[in-house]
Amino acid sequence: MKSRERVIQALKHVEPDRVPIDLGGTWVSGIHAKAYYELRRYLSLPEKLPTIIDVGQQLADIDRDILELFHIDVIDINRVLEPRAPYPRKYRFVGIDSSLKEVSEYEFWTWRTPYGIDVEMPKYVEVVEREDSFIGYAEGKPFGKMPKTGYYFWGLKHALADVKTIEDVKKFDWDVGKVSDDVIEVLKKKAEYLYKYTDYALVNPFMGSPVALGAFRGLHAGGQTLRGWDKWFGDLKFRKPLAEAILDHIFEVMFYNIKKIIDAIGDYIQVQVVGYDDMGVETGPQISVEVFREFYKDRYAEVIGYVKKYSKAFTFLHSDGSIFPLIKEFIDIGLDIINPVQISAKGMEPEKLKKTYGE
Amino acid sequence: MLSEIKNSLINLDIDKTLELVKKAIDQGFKPLDIINTMAEGMKVIGDMFERGEYFISDLIVASEIFKEVMKILEPLIMKEKEVMKPIGRVVIGTIEGDIHDIGKNLVATMLRVNGFEVIDLGVDVSPQKFVEAVKQYNPDIVGMSALLTSTMMNMRKVIETLEKEGLRDKVKVIIGGAPITEEFAKRIGADAYGENAIVAVDICKRLVEELKGKK
Repeated sequence: MKSRERVIQALKHVEPDRVPIDLGGTWVSGIHAKAYYELRRYLSLPEKLPTIIDVGQQLADIDRDILELFHIDVIDINRVLEPRAPYPRKYRFVGIDSSLKEVSEYEFWTWRTPYGIDVEMPKYVEVVEREDSFIGYAEGKPFGKMPKTGYYFWGLKHALADVKTIEDVKKFDWDVGKVSDDVIEVLKKKAEYLYKYTDYALVNPFMGSPVALGAFRGLHAGGQTLRGWDKWFGDLKFRKPLAEAILDHIFEVMFYNIKKIIDAIGDYIQVQVVGYDDMGVETGPQISVEVFREFYKDRYAEVIGYVKKYSKAFTFLHSDGSIFPLIKEFIDIGLDIINPVQISAKGMEPEKLKKTYGE
Repeated sequence: MLSEIKNSLINLDIDKTLELVKKAIDQGFKPLDIINTMAEGMKVIGDMFERGEYFISDLIVASEIFKEVMKILEPLIMKEKEVMKPIGRVVIGTIEGDIHDIGKNLVATMLRVNGFEVIDLGVDVSPQKFVEAVKQYNPDIVGMSALLTSTMMNMRKVIETLEKEGLRDKVKVIIGGAPITEEFAKRIGADAYGENAIVAVDICKRLVEELKGKK
């Protein structure tokens, strides 16, 4: 059985010949560059620098030898190592030295990381060393900070932390989150190429917004990214009109992007990510089912509904933590895949999940 | 009146709570009594969280109400020179290499609500910074937080540095965060592990008692 068929079977709840395997197919099933480097060494594979595919989390792209060795069935259509589509995205931006840069997604520079190895960083990323940290820039805009003892870049600030009124919310430049037509054009070529010339199951983990923006990766996480993790809970409770206004904007961008993406590549991909939206912590859901229904359910129903209506792609949502009661809500609106299913969290015992939701 | 304040806090009704607090002040209730009432309410909310009836969002919302009430009460306390003696002093921070502060902030707030004096060192706090803070503030407790398996190992360094400086016996060390376990706390020589903010407060109270016993 070919990889693509195997994954589709499993997602249709038909038992395939074996369990499908994913490593690096999404930004939430990847491997950190340091771990990847050690893995290659452990396996005595040819030594090479890890190539960064996710700059914030410092995830390494998976080389062909590991794809084959581990019998991996799933790839990200945006992968930068072979097998890859010969259509790199082009970046044109003003760099931190104020010069105009034009680079391809498949061009890299070697960065000596603070975590002990050198990595191949994409050229649209620049890094500035400070006394206590490194500041990362993507397309000339700061996106994160890595402590000198760190392994990852962390988000810098909450763009809407100080807004008071709906008018303030409107003033924010929401359109920066919307995907441009030339990005969609490249995405389409990549998906079409990999669909034709590989047997892998294809995932698109890209939701359309630039690297520097975490605000459009999910409704709940988006609110928290813009307002601050704890302030957002206060918004959902005490400042509902403000929360609704922010969610309307996040949703508008998310829906715009998903529509563009699905219209372009819906025929080629098997899985589309519709949210990176942590809704649980170790001990329980962050919010009640009632809050989920009040603010998020209908909006997610529209996003997921669009993907299902206009393509055969399965929908994928990431949420860490204990989210047992929310899983039913997502099933109601047609979600196919929950990642990662954190069975170490309270109330997420596999037996219980299988008994309640399995078939 | 005080029980109404407590109930409106438990119901997470910010407008009603603020209105009642203002009314109580007008009627001559003492700010410290109001604070104690609020603390009782927070305890109930904490218990409800423990039982899974309230979510972490509710806990955070409750602490936001508490902060708003304190904005009204603090100037009055200063004016009346009522002194609330803290039950203990805690130096708290997120460990070196880690900049996650949600859990740490929640623990700091819950400790303050429960009458502790909290010195928050922020995030990415080096062992040296922890040690300097211990020398400067002479706390009862040092609290450390980590979200990552890669950074939690740095907690051991803090404890070792405290030992080297001869400060380890002067303070109790409590640690917490997603990857931390009771077993890990024991292994690195911490005094306690706080599974969540509510548990952490109870443990800190106990640790302060233990310290008093020793002195």
